[in-house]
Parts: sequence; C-alpha cells; structure tokens
Amino acid sequence: MRIVIADDNLLVRRGIAALLEEAGLQVTAQAGEVDGLLEAVEAESPDVAIVDIRMPPTHTDEGLRAAQVIRERHPEIGIVVLSQHVETGVAARVLAEHPAGLGYLLKDRVTDVSEFVAMLRNVAAGGTALDPQVISRLLASDRGDGPLGALTTREREVLQLVAEGHSNPAIAARLDITRRSTEKYVSSIFTKLGLPDTGNENRRVLAVLKLLRN
Amino acid sequence: MILRAPFGVPGSDAVARARRVPRLHLDEHSLAFFVVLLALALVGEVLVLRPILSTDDVPVSGIDVVFGLVGGSFAVSGLIAWRRRPDSRTGALMTATGFAFFISPLLRQVDGAVAFMVWNLLVDTWIFFFVPVLLTLLTAGRLRSHRDRWLVAAYAFPLVLLQVVWLLFAELEEGDNLLLAFPDEDVAHVLDRTQRGLLALLLAVTISVIAYRWWRASAPRRRALLPSLAGAATLAMFMALLTNDLLSGERSDPLLWATACSLLSVPVALMAGQLRSRLARGALADLFRNIGSVRPEELRPALARALGDPDLRIGYLQSDGGYVDADSRPVAAGGERAMARVERDGRPIAALGYDASLDDDPELVEAVTAAAAIAIDNASLLAEREAQLAEIKASRERIVAAGDAERRRLERNLHDGAQQRLVGIALQLRLLQNRVSDDPSAAALVTTASDELANSLSELRELARGIHPAVLEHGLPAALEALATRAPVPTHVDCVLPGRLGEPVELAAYFVSCEALANVAKYAQATTAAIRVRQEGRRLLVEVADNGIGGADAALGSGLRGLADRVEALDGTLRVTSPAGAGTTVRAELPCA
Repeated sequence: MRIVIADDNLLVRRGIAALLEEAGLQVTAQAGEVDGLLEAVEAESPDVAIVDIRMPPTHTDEGLRAAQVIRERHPEIGIVVLSQHVETGVAARVLAEHPAGLGYLLKDRVTDVSEFVAMLRNVAAGGTALDPQVISRLLASDRGDGPLGALTTREREVLQLVAEGHSNPAIAARLDITRRSTEKYVSSIFTKLGLPDTGNENRRVLAVLKLLRN
Repeated sequence: MILRAPFGVPGSDAVARARRVPRLHLDEHSLAFFVVLLALALVGEVLVLRPILSTDDVPVSGIDVVFGLVGGSFAVSGLIAWRRRPDSRTGALMTATGFAFFISPLLRQVDGAVAFMVWNLLVDTWIFFFVPVLLTLLTAGRLRSHRDRWLVAAYAFPLVLLQVVWLLFAELEEGDNLLLAFPDEDVAHVLDRTQRGLLALLLAVTISVIAYRWWRASAPRRRALLPSLAGAATLAMFMALLTNDLLSGERSDPLLWATACSLLSVPVALMAGQLRSRLARGALADLFRNIGSVRPEELRPALARALGDPDLRIGYLQSDGGYVDADSRPVAAGGERAMARVERDGRPIAALGYDASLDDDPELVEAVTAAAAIAIDNASLLAEREAQLAEIKASRERIVAAGDAERRRLERNLHDGAQQRLVGIALQLRLLQNRVSDDPSAAALVTTASDELANSLSELRELARGIHPAVLEHGLPAALEALATRAPVPTHVDCVLPGRLGEPVELAAYFVSCEALANVAKYAQATTAAIRVRQEGRRLLVEVADNGIGGADAALGSGLRGLADRVEALDGTLRVTSPAGAGTTVRAELPCA
C-alpha cells in the first residue's frame, strides 16, 4: 500500500513514516505543508494520504481543506485526517456527505501500529474509520429516542467497532464472540438503523453516517 | 433700533453691538427724584380734577373726568417704567407725555389773555412726546432713524407753524386773541381745515409705520410693541375725530369718548408689558427647576421658552473666539439680534443670540444666561462622563480580547510545541519497542513509558481545551456539538447560523453554553438539556435550557458572574430564569454586526 504523509512537525512525520515502513507499507512522500502534500498526491497517486488537520500558515483547518481538494480531484484516494484532539462536531465536517474512504483519528492512534494499519487498509478499500473517542461520545450523548435507542448493549458495542472501521473477523476477535454471531449482530444493527441490504452500498459506511447525523 | 425697510435707515443700525449682561445703567436717578416727580404728577392730577370736583353749579361732564385722568395715568405709568428701566427713555417720554397732558386743562383754569394765548400755542404739545413713545419702544426711547425724526418734526408744521399763522387771522369766541393781526374769518377757516387735514395725514402715516413694524416683528418684539399698537389705535381715533371735524364741521361726542378711552389703554399696555416680564419669572423658575436634568438637545427650547424668544440661538465658543450654533451658523450681535456671553468661572464658554428687544428686561436675560451657564457646564460634564464610560467599556473589551488572544496563543504553543513533541516521542518509543521485543524487561519498561506518555498527552489535551476551545476554528455549531457530546446530561444542539460571527461573539456564546452545561451537570438534576442559538437581526441569541429542578440563584456562582462580565463587555445581556420545579434557562443576547 502506497502512503503519502503530511504533518508540519518533522519528528511526528518521520515517526509515522518509520512505523509504517516497519509494518511493510510504502511511504512514497512526506510533506510539511499543504502545497507539498497536493504535489505529492499528484506525483505519487497514493492509496491513502495521511493528513494533519492543523498545518501552516494559520494552523487551524488547512489539512481539512487539503483533504477536500484531494477528494474532489481524486475520489479514489483514501484520506485519513489526524488531529491532536478529536471532536464530534469536526467529525461531521471531515466525513461530510460521503464518508466512504475517509478516516478521522486522534494522532496518538498511530502508535498502535497494527490497528492503525488495519484502518488504513479499510479506508483504502473505501471503508470509514472514526476515532473510538468520537464514537463513544456520540453513543453516550444519544438521548435514546432515536433509532440508536433500539440497540441492545451488545449491538452498541458492535456498532462502535463497525464505526471504528473494524472488519467482522476483527470485531469477533475483540469481543471474543463467534464470527457467526458477529454477522448476526451487524445485520440486526443495519435493520434497526433502517439500512436494508441493497447490494452495492457499503452499509457499514451508511451506519457511521447515521450515527453522526443522529 | 428701527426696523429695516421701508422706514428704517440701512447701515446706521447694522453696526454690531455686543451687549453684555448686566449692562451699564446710565441716567440713574435717586429714589427722591422719582418721589418728587410722582408728587408733582399727583398735584397736577388733583389740580386738573379740581374744577370738576369743586364746582357745584356745573354738572360734572364724564368726558372731562376721563380726559383729566389721562395725564396722571401716563405720568404714573411712565415713572414706574422709568424707575424700572433707567437706561430706557421710554419711561421718561411717557412721564413727559403725562405732564404735557396737564398743560391744557391747567392753563384753562387761569384767566387772562396771556394764559389764553399760551394755551392756544401749547395745547397739542403732548403729541411731541406721545408719538416718539410709540415709535421708540424697540429702541429704548431713542429716535434712531432720520425718517422717524422727520415724522415727529413734521407734526410741528400743522401744530406749531400753522397754529401761529392761524392765530394771526382767527377771531376767537373763548377769549382775546393777542396775536390777532389780520382778522379774516375765511382765511382762518381755510387754515383750520388745512391744519386738521395735514394732521390727519400725519396720523395716518404714523399709524402705517407702526402697523408695518408690528407686521414685520418677531414674537418678542410684538410683545414689546404692544403699547405702540394701543397708541396706534388712539391715533386712529384722533384721525377719525379730525376727519369727522372736517366733514361735519362739529365734534362727535362718541368719537371723543372712544379717543379718551383708547388714550388710557396706552399706559395700561405699558404696565401690562412690565407685568409680563414679572410673569416671565415663572418660566424662569421652571427652567431652573429642571436645569440639572435638561439634555443638550432640550436646552435651546427650554431657554427660548423662558426668554419668550423662539428664535433664541446658543453659540458655542470657537477657537477663533467667535460663536457658532449647532447648525454651524455664527451667533453674533447685530441688527435686531443681541448677544449675551455665557461665562463659567470668568471664562466665556458660549453665547446666547436673542432678540434685541429683550434688552428691555436685562434681569431676565441675565437669569437665562446664568441658567445656560449651568446647563452647558452640566452637559459638558455629562459628555465627559459618557466619554469615560465609553473608554471603560472599550478598555473592558480590550482586556477580554487581550485575554482571549493570550489563551489562543498558549493553546497554539501547547499544540505546536509540547503536544507534537510528545506525539513524536510516543512514535519513537513505539519504534524502540519493536527493537527491544526480544528483551521482555526492556519491552515492559517501554510499554510503561508509552502508557504514561499517552496519559500525559490526554491530560495535556484537556488542559489545552480548557485554555482555548480550538474546535471553534470549525465554527460555532461544531464547537457546541463537541460541547454537547461531552456533557454528562444528554444535550440537544440547535444552532442555525447564516455564517461565521466575530471571534469575540463566538467565544462568548461558547463559554456561556459551556458554563451553563457545567451548571446543569452540577446542580440541575436534569435528564436533558438543549442549546439553541439563533441570529436575529444584529443580535445573537444563545439559550441553554434544562428540565431540572430549577430554583437556581440568579447569581449562580462565580462562573456565570465572569460570563456576565464577558457578555457585558460585548454590550450584551445575560439572564438566568430558574423557577422552582420548572428547569433553568440561561439566555444571552450578544450584538453581532
């Protein structure tokens, strides 16, 4: 998998690159600001671009704007937006209307390399990866009067992991349940959230959207 | 001062004369002087009325009584006016008119041809005082224009010159005519008719002059001209009397009555004018009662009312020493306008431009000027205080803004410095962990360090958020959403905004919501809360409501007090309503341009 990294902090940028390369991923370019990132994307056509949300010159949401540009030009490139702090309100903005192929994670998550790599692969494949912190806050702040209210505790746990971007086998392993029952929980969640199986659509992505819009 | 056209003389009174209040009082006479004149007037009056009162065999004629009272009433009212306004000659002229009225009835009581001749020559002397009184009410009893002087002098032709000539020809029934040189009844008759005709003409001209002045005069001048209007009516009666003489050849009794009565109206009108300036003191009392609270824009109407001059103008001192009113028109003396300087501690601060006729009442002008001094001084203190308040408000805004800027800078430094470095170290530790995976004790140490680092990062993150909500960079709705999902009580956010607002407003809205939600968590025992934000016109409304127990103290602790300061620094308002059992609502209104 080909990766491009953009972060204005050299130590962080190199650290991420080193970790990913050790994990067998190919980091084809690193950039310290938006222009370098966009050039690298054009030149390298990566599978995933990892973008720090705050970059020069204003250190507010340059990374987010750059992600939107990449999305418009190359919808096929997966984008993972990293931040020092994750907020539900910002998550809605990052994932916007089409969360497929997008991720929004706390920067610290990178240190859990195997998990991070799994998420990168998920995003590259058109999945969605939302930071666990964001999801738990979304689930916790639910007043129980929407579709989420109908979910059982176990189903909520499964939905949390689905939104984080885990595959069914990964969820089964984490919750120490069988794959079969994992599939049953997931399909039950989809039904309760009103997401019927229409074939092409990625229902996991739609479930995340549902969660964000709740 | 005489009105401009057509009888006035342009130029002569266009010379600016700045009046100072109080003015110099010339021609001051002692009280004894007036007492003596008053005594003389009373003696004259008694002598005039003596034949009427003492003669038993002749029936008392009413018309004689009325005419007899004219001299005394003119003299007394004239003396009162003279005493009150020593610098005006009007009083003196009125007094002279009164004494002139005594001449005829007194001389008639003296027997002898010489007295009769003198009576014949002086019978109409009063007119040379009376007409000037009517013409000079606005000029302090002074004939200022040449035309006025010529008009008065013209009366000498029929009343003096033709009178003498007539006496040369006329044989008189009442007594011996010492001047009779060429007795000729026809010539005398023609001369008499000429005299009466000319006099009627002069009276008509005088009446026209007075009527024209009245028509052109401003409100305060019309008040001052009131006696001249009464005088003009009297002159009209005289004119009618003369015209009737010429047409019918004999005196009309009703006209004589009307003339006598209208003569008495002149001193009455003069006294009414004096009384009016007494009554004006009532308006002054009103002015002084409210002078402390009068707003700058109300000052001019209030002074105008007290002075009775709707055209009053207030001129403020300019750097060149001149005075300019609120409409940038210069205020100076000249023409019909007089000017009084308003001083404070001996320094001029302003000037009042008023109708020059009001100089007849210098005390009134002086009092109004004093009131103006207090009010203008007050207004400048008020303006100073308002400027200070605005400065305090601006400085409070600056303090809040400076605090916010400093917090933002701190948060950014933490983010770009310590936080990034720690993440970098976490990544390095992770790389190290891969290297030492074959040494379990080293791996365990690295894992412990990594966990500690993760905790530190998490604590640092919370600290940074407390210092400044970086999430506001993504807009108020995103920031409030973030607040709501962190709140322990499920909170609904309804924030619809057309666009971004100023940072101070967004920060204030954020902090209000943040503190209100913290209070909900601490005290309200609520199961849900709601944040509602709307922009209505130029105001942002922020409302945080819960369904808890209510009954919160409006001064909900120092947190909300600090917020109120922040909101008020933006000229906004913060209100807490918390009826027992019905939840608590915190409502902030913030101006947003």
